[in-house]
Amino acid sequence: MSASSSAKANQLSSRFIYVFVSLYFLIPLGATFYWSLRGAKDVLGFEAYRKLFADTNFLPAFSQSIVNAVATILLSLLIVVPTAYWVTLRLPKLRPVVEFITLLPFVIPAIVLVFGIIRLYSRPPLLLTSTYDSSRVLLICVYVALSFPYMFRAVDNGLRAIDVRTLTEAAQSLGANWGTILFKVIFPNLRVALLSGALLTFAIVIGELTIALYMAQHTLGPYMADLTRSKVYEPSAMAIVAFAITWAAMGIIDFVGRGATRSKTKVAID
Amino acid sequence: MSYLSISKVTKQFGDTVVVDDFNLDIEKGEFVSFLGPSGCGKTTTLRMVAGFEIPTSGKILLDGADITDKAPNQRNVGMIFQSYALFPNMTVAQNIGFGLRVRKESEDMVKQRVEEMVTLINLEKHANKYPYQLSGGQQQRVSLARALAIHPQVLLLDEPLSALDAKIRISLRSEIRAIQKKLGITAIFVTHDQEEALSISDRIVVMNTGVMEQVGTPFEIYNFPKTRFVANFVGSLNTSDAEVLDPAKGLVSMDGVQFEAAEGTDARKKGDKVKIAIRPERLSFASEQKKANVMDASIENITFLGSVVRIQVKIGKTKFNMDTFNNPFLELPKIGSVEQVTCSREAVLVLDE
Repeated sequence: MSASSSAKANQLSSRFIYVFVSLYFLIPLGATFYWSLRGAKDVLGFEAYRKLFADTNFLPAFSQSIVNAVATILLSLLIVVPTAYWVTLRLPKLRPVVEFITLLPFVIPAIVLVFGIIRLYSRPPLLLTSTYDSSRVLLICVYVALSFPYMFRAVDNGLRAIDVRTLTEAAQSLGANWGTILFKVIFPNLRVALLSGALLTFAIVIGELTIALYMAQHTLGPYMADLTRSKVYEPSAMAIVAFAITWAAMGIIDFVGRGATRSKTKVAID
Repeated sequence: MSYLSISKVTKQFGDTVVVDDFNLDIEKGEFVSFLGPSGCGKTTTLRMVAGFEIPTSGKILLDGADITDKAPNQRNVGMIFQSYALFPNMTVAQNIGFGLRVRKESEDMVKQRVEEMVTLINLEKHANKYPYQLSGGQQQRVSLARALAIHPQVLLLDEPLSALDAKIRISLRSEIRAIQKKLGITAIFVTHDQEEALSISDRIVVMNTGVMEQVGTPFEIYNFPKTRFVANFVGSLNTSDAEVLDPAKGLVSMDGVQFEAAEGTDARKKGDKVKIAIRPERLSFASEQKKANVMDASIENITFLGSVVRIQVKIGKTKFNMDTFNNPFLELPKIGSVEQVTCSREAVLVLDE
């Protein structure tokens, strides 16, 4: 086979795979969207969406999930960023250990996790499930643990992309303390990585069901599960809304990331 | 009392001694280079002065104050890194002003000082640009300005020119030296490039495997190397095995050819095995001017190197390189012919085996 016909064959197979995979994702999504438009009898429209947003349980569940997500992100950043920074700067040999720990949430099924947590925290001296609010705090802590694989990986990749050690030493030689170094030098240069980790965490928390359900929390996950049992078209509308939120989050990462990539790669010539 | 004193400093990592009993006194305003191959301990020594490494033993005094155990952000030393280390999220002006803002200087003062520094490095039009918009040479100049803005007591430069291309390296090293002289700042410059060290230093410390081989002016280091390592590392050198004939007269024999050396044989006895070394530019044809040593040499090869012509000659059984300045009227000998070559007594270095 000549070089040009081989290249053509590669191009064709690439296009075929692209189309096939696109259809694989788009057909179910399209079907869901179509189903969500059938809320009114014999007419395609946004009736299901209107009913969804008019539901008195939707907004409280949605807002609670948003607050949980923001709290999770802030707490996760506070724990993960200094840890990843210190591991990169002073304890590189510990990286495999830290990576292993952050991957544990992938290994433990959610149902096992939640029953273990309920068992541990439902009796003294660690009684944290006696009230709704204390359970909510516990839930956020669990979400922080669940966010570790994504947050640590994102921050670690961000730190590897900048010369952390030299930037730190340069700042120290100019008289900066650790706080100044972290907030004026390191964090601003991890913007994309932090945003990436934050938005992945957001997506996980918004859509999480099992743990919230067994901890009797009124978040978006249990609300969606309820909706599926009692409504026909509204669950599809909810699924599309959830997809839209996730795509918006990814779009923000991509937009911010492009700006940062442009700034790193453009170099003038002497 | 010297301005910067590094006294009996040793640094060990586990069982490995990377800097061994380093002693150096530097005067205020002096420009000292640490020169040596990779792994010789020059950067580690610099980092101990900066505070990024703590000596295993020994003391470092700066203007009379003991800074040995002080944190880097308490030493008031300015540092320039090979990778520039500019803060990517800050403009040129913000980078230069960073150290002043950390010290809580007033905004007026910061603005004035930043303007001074930007003018010093001739980047007035680039003050609002980000590092990614600058060339390597410009970035390193900003790095220099940032280090100088805080009025450091010592300026530390860790191979600042290594990442730059040859032409920029030459122009920037002159610029660095001119600025250092103008401001009268004490500086330590780490490099593995001997031309850099020779061209801009007041003194050079040649290091090898953690040990100071020799300290001296560029002239001393080049012309009077005290050890075989220094002789080999700085400049090019012809070397050959020889035997001492008469220690009092400085006579040595190489392949039956007698050489007279100005020094290096006093502490030896007849029959001692030594190495002799002669720099290529110290050999010349006897037809031009006869010096103390005159030897017959066959012409083996001639290479044009631009401004220099390198003639390979064979003296006894050993081949030597002889460098002479190129000029259009230069009469070169024929390859295979035998000529007389000459060098002074001082040109013959006698080194240990």
